[in-house]
Amino acid sequence: MARVELRGLHKTFGGGTVALDRLELDVASGELVSLLGPSGCGKTTALRIVAGFETPDAGEVLVDGVDVLGLPASRRNMGMVFQSYSLFPNMTAKANVAYPLRIRRRPKAEREARAVELLDLVGLARQVDRYPHQLSGGQQQRVALARALAHEPAVLLLDEPLSALDAKVRVQLREEVRRIQLELGITTIYVTHDQEEALSISDRVAVLAEGRVEQIGTPAEIYNRPRTPFVASFVGTVNQIDAVVVSPAEGAVRCGERVLVVDGDLSGHAQGADVGLYLRPEDVVLVTDEPEGTPGASGTSGASGTSGASGKVRSITFLGPVTRVGVDCELGALVADVASDVALGLGIGDPVTVVVEPGRMRTLV
Amino acid sequence: MAALSPAAPATVRRPRRRRHLPLWHAFWILAAAAYFIVPIISLVQFSFGGRVDGHSAGFHWYATVFADPNFASSFWLSVQIALETVALSIALLVPTAFWIHLRLPRLRPVMDFVSVLPFVVPPIVLIVGLIPFLQPFTFIYSRPEVLDFIYVVFAMPFLYRSLDAGLRAINLQTLAEASANCGASTWSTLIRVVVPNLRSAIIGGSFLTVAIAMGEFTISSLLSFNTFPVYIFNIGQSTSNEAAALAVISLLLTWALMIALYVVGRGGRTTAQMAATR
Ligand SMILES: Nc1ncnc2c1ncn2[C@@H]1O[C@H](COP(=O)(O)OP(=O)(O)OP(=O)(O)O)[C@@H](O)[C@H]1O
Ligand SMILES: [Mg+2]
Repeated sequence: MARVELRGLHKTFGGGTVALDRLELDVASGELVSLLGPSGCGKTTALRIVAGFETPDAGEVLVDGVDVLGLPASRRNMGMVFQSYSLFPNMTAKANVAYPLRIRRRPKAEREARAVELLDLVGLARQVDRYPHQLSGGQQQRVALARALAHEPAVLLLDEPLSALDAKVRVQLREEVRRIQLELGITTIYVTHDQEEALSISDRVAVLAEGRVEQIGTPAEIYNRPRTPFVASFVGTVNQIDAVVVSPAEGAVRCGERVLVVDGDLSGHAQGADVGLYLRPEDVVLVTDEPEGTPGASGTSGASGTSGASGKVRSITFLGPVTRVGVDCELGALVADVASDVALGLGIGDPVTVVVEPGRMRTLV
Repeated sequence: MAALSPAAPATVRRPRRRRHLPLWHAFWILAAAAYFIVPIISLVQFSFGGRVDGHSAGFHWYATVFADPNFASSFWLSVQIALETVALSIALLVPTAFWIHLRLPRLRPVMDFVSVLPFVVPPIVLIVGLIPFLQPFTFIYSRPEVLDFIYVVFAMPFLYRSLDAGLRAINLQTLAEASANCGASTWSTLIRVVVPNLRSAIIGGSFLTVAIAMGEFTISSLLSFNTFPVYIFNIGQSTSNEAAALAVISLLLTWALMIALYVVGRGGRTTAQMAATR
């Protein structure tokens, strides 16, 4: 397989839009890296430059250390799945998948066998002779994936391949994309604006903002150790809390009246400096202010060891397995994710105590 | 009771509607059809008309037509010119339209304008302008093939517009990129992906091109080539019944030619596939 490196990619479109701003990215051989970011951050542009459909103003695209920018798209040996349906309408599924091999003048028997094998791999063994208009959107994207793999490309590029599909098919198909990618061990760049998709299928996620990589890391790193406020708020939901540093050495901060110990390095901050903290909703524990004998709403055994902040329930949103509860408390307006069966006991306006386990409150590292 | 059954009112109302609207429809359809059919019927009637040696003519005029060697030669000359014009137009305009849509979309309005010019400029003006241009090229100017080049210009609005509509209907940019990603050169993409998806546009444009090339009179007459329309005109000057027979034959032959083109163009594809490419 192949290693892909993007070096200082810069792209400005007519009208002065900076789509890519010295983008750097390394994709190891056999790795699946997602480009995750909001609309207009340059994901598609980056992928199209790698594929050869767009030329950067500056920078390099290296595949196994060789700059490929001089090669036309047709000679880069990459497979791409497009966001919009891109199957050739005049060809059957099988003919579409065999097309890259037909271009390479492989014998008919070989390309037919390969096409059938790939269609089988994407779960369309029974639809080989259908035309694109006889296939569902999900099936069309499966064929497109098979076609992108037919000529055994060095790199697989996917530009939001699932965004036109409905939620259920999307989840199912992304798992298949990952299964096939692992099975073939193919180096893959996967563009998406869906964080759940990126976190669930990637070896590493590169979060993009305004044409540059904000942070790159494993899904767990991106989620648990966001390095910038943008990453913290873009990936998952986050409570942001303002605090003042009390003791940089001990990691202690003051939030309103309370002194808390945070997870993260405060050594860069002076005593008395303002610092932004964040807290995931699932790390906020709510304890109902009921008399002794009633179990706490979160099911934990109360406020031992942590400072509880008293507050009031502001909103309740049912999300399925968890319920997101908005609370106004001394720390500010927070949201907490509570197991839904537990949240049944809550009503708007109920007094609650907000408990944060030590170390859950994080600074950006 | 009746209100409870939703099907009942519909079944009552439908026949009433049928009584009114279709009558008007039928009237207009008949009126429109008459406009085209009556002249053809008269033409056919006239081609059997007149008296020969005191008998009714019967197929006499048709026999006369087929006996004249100029009939076949002028007809085949026109067919040859029509097919050459179609081939030349396709070879010239399909890559042009493809390239403009793919790489130079900013030129599209310019091409839209250029492609209607042959419509707007009267043919006689084109000819007066073209003759001095073509005259120095004596080897072609003296041959009927010179008409190919002129008819390509006349046919351009039809073929180009048809191709333009066809290209707009497919997702050209993505298909071309997908094809390049599969390793195809631009030329391969044109031949293997774009042309098959433009089949109906190409066939449609070719029909009109054939019709124009088969029917054009002014220029071939001015340049004194004995094409089919010129031959018909000359016959009409002398024997009008024979000219009518000739016109009927020419109608039938032109239709046959178009059907042949359609069959060849379709190349055995099914209707479902044709629909899918649209
Ligand atoms: N062909 C173009 N001409 C001009 N500007 C463009 C062109 N393509 C992209 N841009 C601009 O470059 C920026 C990045 O676009 P890009 O398509 O890469 O975003 P994206 O991250 O893929 O967004 P999305 O999630 O909406 O697909 C945007 O501001 C966009 O408007
Ligand atoms: Mg995009």
